Amino acid sequence: MNMNIDMITTTSIIMAVLSFLVFETRNLKRATLLYALQTFALVAIFLILGMKYQISTLFIWSATAFVTKVVLVPWIILNLIKKTGITYEEAPFIGVYNPFLSIGMALTVALILYPVFLKFSLIKLHIPLAVSILVFMMGILGMVFRKSAIKQILSYCLFENGAHLTLALTAYNAPETVEIGILTDAIFAVVIMAALGFRFFRYFGSFDTSQAKELKG
Amino acid sequence: MNINKEILLIASLAIPLVFSILIWVVGGAKKTKPLYTVHALAAVMTSAAGLMSIQFASKGETITALNDFIFIDPVGAVFIAIISIVGLLTNLYSIKYISWELESNEIEFRDARLFFSLCHLFIFTMLLSVMSNNIVLMWVAVEATTLSSVFLVSLYRKKSSVEGGWKYIVICSIGLAFALYGTILLYGSSLRIIGNAHEAMLWTSLAMHGGELNPDVMKIVFVFFLIGYGTKAGLAPMHTWLPDAHAEGPAPASALLSAVLLKCAMAAIIRFYTVAVLSPETLAFVKTCLMSVGLFSIVIAALFILKQRDIKRMFAYSSTENLGIISVAMAFGGKLGLFAMFFHVMNHSLTKSLAFCTSGNIQHIHGTRDMSKMGGLFKTAPVTAVLLAIAIFSLVGLPPMAIFTSEFYAIMAGVQAGDYLAVAILFVGLGIVFYGLVSHFNRIAFGRKPKNIKNPGEVSFAANLPLLALAVLVCTIGIFPPEWWTALLNNAVAEILQNP
Repeated sequence: MNMNIDMITTTSIIMAVLSFLVFETRNLKRATLLYALQTFALVAIFLILGMKYQISTLFIWSATAFVTKVVLVPWIILNLIKKTGITYEEAPFIGVYNPFLSIGMALTVALILYPVFLKFSLIKLHIPLAVSILVFMMGILGMVFRKSAIKQILSYCLFENGAHLTLALTAYNAPETVEIGILTDAIFAVVIMAALGFRFFRYFGSFDTSQAKELKG
Repeated sequence: MNINKEILLIASLAIPLVFSILIWVVGGAKKTKPLYTVHALAAVMTSAAGLMSIQFASKGETITALNDFIFIDPVGAVFIAIISIVGLLTNLYSIKYISWELESNEIEFRDARLFFSLCHLFIFTMLLSVMSNNIVLMWVAVEATTLSSVFLVSLYRKKSSVEGGWKYIVICSIGLAFALYGTILLYGSSLRIIGNAHEAMLWTSLAMHGGELNPDVMKIVFVFFLIGYGTKAGLAPMHTWLPDAHAEGPAPASALLSAVLLKCAMAAIIRFYTVAVLSPETLAFVKTCLMSVGLFSIVIAALFILKQRDIKRMFAYSSTENLGIISVAMAFGGKLGLFAMFFHVMNHSLTKSLAFCTSGNIQHIHGTRDMSKMGGLFKTAPVTAVLLAIAIFSLVGLPPMAIFTSEFYAIMAGVQAGDYLAVAILFVGLGIVFYGLVSHFNRIAFGRKPKNIKNPGEVSFAANLPLLALAVLVCTIGIFPPEWWTALLNNAVAEILQNP
């Protein structure tokens, strides 16, 4: 029993570290592969939770997450990188302070919010729940602070993973259609963002969204 | 009888989805006529099914389908009515608008095919969002509205369109991520009280147990909802995507975004309000938040309207202002406040749809959205000028136009609630908006006629016909509201205030 919980805690911490690496790695291909690895950690958490608490739904969640988010989403993003030939991310807003500020903010929000979620969580595990909110916030801050369109897509994927873990811990018993709906939205969002990102590259010659200054006021 | 109602409910959802696919298939032949025909047929059938499906709700009845996952209650029916009426007239107008864009090579045939197909997919997602009884399904549907409309915003193959579309999807996705967290928390909280996982996710159950839910948690949920759905509704300070997205898409897409989509996001906040009503502590918090955000939206939008040069951006900021008015009316609360809110939802939808479609005419005539390069519209295109006048006069709240009535009710509700400071700020905001919109209108309508007008002369009657229908509604609905409409609004208000 305890070993399972330790495994969940350890995998959650690995997931948090991988999120930070996805956030910070400037090489876009490497960041995408790290994202695939981070999602694999999420899949592992689903499997361990499923085994520990005898929740068959989580086995299905782990299978769908593997196919869609470990395989399909990284494939879409890697294709976009290959098609455009852009492999490095532009420097983020507020430069070297960005990672410190982002991790600080994400951690603060996670520590403030997780006790609230814990109160209503079906699976009451402190660290995984805190990690889920941390990953979510890293994704949000990535979308706000990073200039690269690809990094923004990866950030979207990050916060989606965070929300997915929160959902597994707090609402795994929700009707199956709910998870299918959220996952379908997420996949379509990545496909559409990748298509729009490609169009962005064609018109701006890069993925640097800070160059988009046509609209103001 | 029940089965028939269920079938009607499902059909009203399925029709736009099926037609979205059908249009894509028909468009494969690369002929415009069949494309326009199927699009028009889709618009008519969606509207007819939508209006038929709300007939029970206007009598106060709620119908459910698909294991209670979807439903039509009086609150949802108000929004279905808007989607049906505004969606029909905007879609009919879009045929002529898209044909202009094709003729002037602004877009290619494949873009037109994408546009028409996405229009119906977009309408399907909006219908699903207001018909969802399940809180997560509603979130999924609202997120799907973004995904289905992002290429409506980015239809034109140019830098600014891509920028508008990118900002739209990024900002709305961030906002809606918070709404998802709010939804998860709401479910966690309600599961404790309701016990059953399926029931705990239904608005119909939540509304009955609103008084038992932990008020502190509900406050956090509402903050998440307000950030999430408020972003999508274009409330300040989360509105920054709105002027870009509304300005960059084709005029009919802007009309659908502003007149319908923003209201669907607001519907999610109204659903939460229904749950909060039974808890005085939660309701007081909700009202304070709505009042703050609403007044802030009105004032910020009013100031931005003053400095606009782009006609569509001006109307986009006016949307933020009007969503602010809807929030303020909800915050005033009570029967009158909520009636004003629902009435304003419809009145603004009709008016803004007219405004954006008319701006499409003006853009076609002048070849620009820059108001400083416009003038003498009454001489160039008198019918379009009259349509613009009706839209502007309604937006500034002149009697007897639609918005005048709902703004009047909202102000009365504020006075009734004794919230004089809010009423005063509201007046200041509306005053600035009045000055801004009327002065811009004055320049377009009576200013010096520019030398180089792209397409001098009035647009065809076929283009103006749906706009004339909108104009008639804008002029009459405020003072002569149809009986079924008033009954529906009263039932929607009763549903919010009288849940057992």
